[in-house]
Amino acid sequence: MEDIFDSSLNLEENHLREGYNEGYNDGLTSGIEEGRQVGLKHGFEIGEELGFYRGCMDVWTSAIRVDPNCFSSRIRKSIKTMDNLVKKYPISDPENESVNEIMDSLRLKFRSVCASLNVKLEYSGYPKSSDANMEF
Amino acid sequence: MVPDGIAGTTISPEKINSSSRRISMDHNFADELYSDILKTPNGESGPIPSGNYEQSNSHDHELDNFSHDDESLWGSSPEEGTNQYGMEREWQRRHDQFHTIGYRDGVTAGKEASAQEGFNVGFKESVGVGYNWGLVRGVTSALACLPNGLKEKLVETQEDRDKFQSLYESVHSLSTTDALKLFHDGILSNKSVEHSESAEAGPNEAGLQDPSFDLLRNYFGELESLVHRSPAMEVNIVLDH
Repeated sequence: MEDIFDSSLNLEENHLREGYNEGYNDGLTSGIEEGRQVGLKHGFEIGEELGFYRGCMDVWTSAIRVDPNCFSSRIRKSIKTMDNLVKKYPISDPENESVNEIMDSLRLKFRSVCASLNVKLEYSGYPKSSDANMEF
Repeated sequence: MVPDGIAGTTISPEKINSSSRRISMDHNFADELYSDILKTPNGESGPIPSGNYEQSNSHDHELDNFSHDDESLWGSSPEEGTNQYGMEREWQRRHDQFHTIGYRDGVTAGKEASAQEGFNVGFKESVGVGYNWGLVRGVTSALACLPNGLKEKLVETQEDRDKFQSLYESVHSLSTTDALKLFHDGILSNKSVEHSESAEAGPNEAGLQDPSFDLLRNYFGELESLVHRSPAMEVNIVLDH
């Protein structure tokens, strides 16, 4: 009686395990591809945002170079801070724990620089503005 | 009760059969089920092609027509054979059930194990393209917002200032989602180009690439050449990390 019970359990366990192994291998394959799709989107967005800041700062820094007094010293300091933050961002290491913290600081600094310069520099898809645009 | 000597000993078909018959007759499928399994050479349940079930339905008593490997295992009388096909079906159903449960769990676990790796692959594939694209956005946007006096110091000719402005307008009309779609379509068409390249072994396929992907690259190329003509603009074109 126990034999039957045991062997029945074993067989069921074998089928579970057999299914599990097949599923695991398929899961590995599809996990790579699904993860990649998410990574493609995320990487593009992060790259875009960093490139955007870099481009703005390069223009501002160039402006300061041709006209050292064009911005207040406070703004110049903020631009320098942003410059360091972008340089510090571990762009090739998405798993680095510091990425969110650096990105948050960048966004804050950028907003304060834009407010000081009295310009609105955003694009459709920019993280802050997108929150409002996603509503529709 | 379990007869002496059965519990804890090696399972053999005979013991399975004899003990199971003792258990109950209304569950007598068990002995046929398991004795059949245990007779299978590799010890596994050789999955029976589903075609057999259809056949057994349409040709209930024509077992002779089967040319199945396991034919020798089936009973010789038609009734018994039909019964065993019923058992087989039940067996297959249970097999499928547990297999499916295991499979689902396996898929989840497999995905969890590889998703991060896939994410990193995708991230590295796209972050540079996104960066270049963002650079075009940033440079043209910030420049467009500068006072005219500063603009003229940075970009010498009116022609180039106009070009910067029109580049800004084109780029600004594209959202991140639009750009991402261009990028994504580009990856797909790149793949198909690679595919046809390997098939036809044509070396000069650059012109065949999806024009939508080229759009992102063209914008970047335009920025590069405008920046190049404006020495006062110092832009870090190269992503150095």
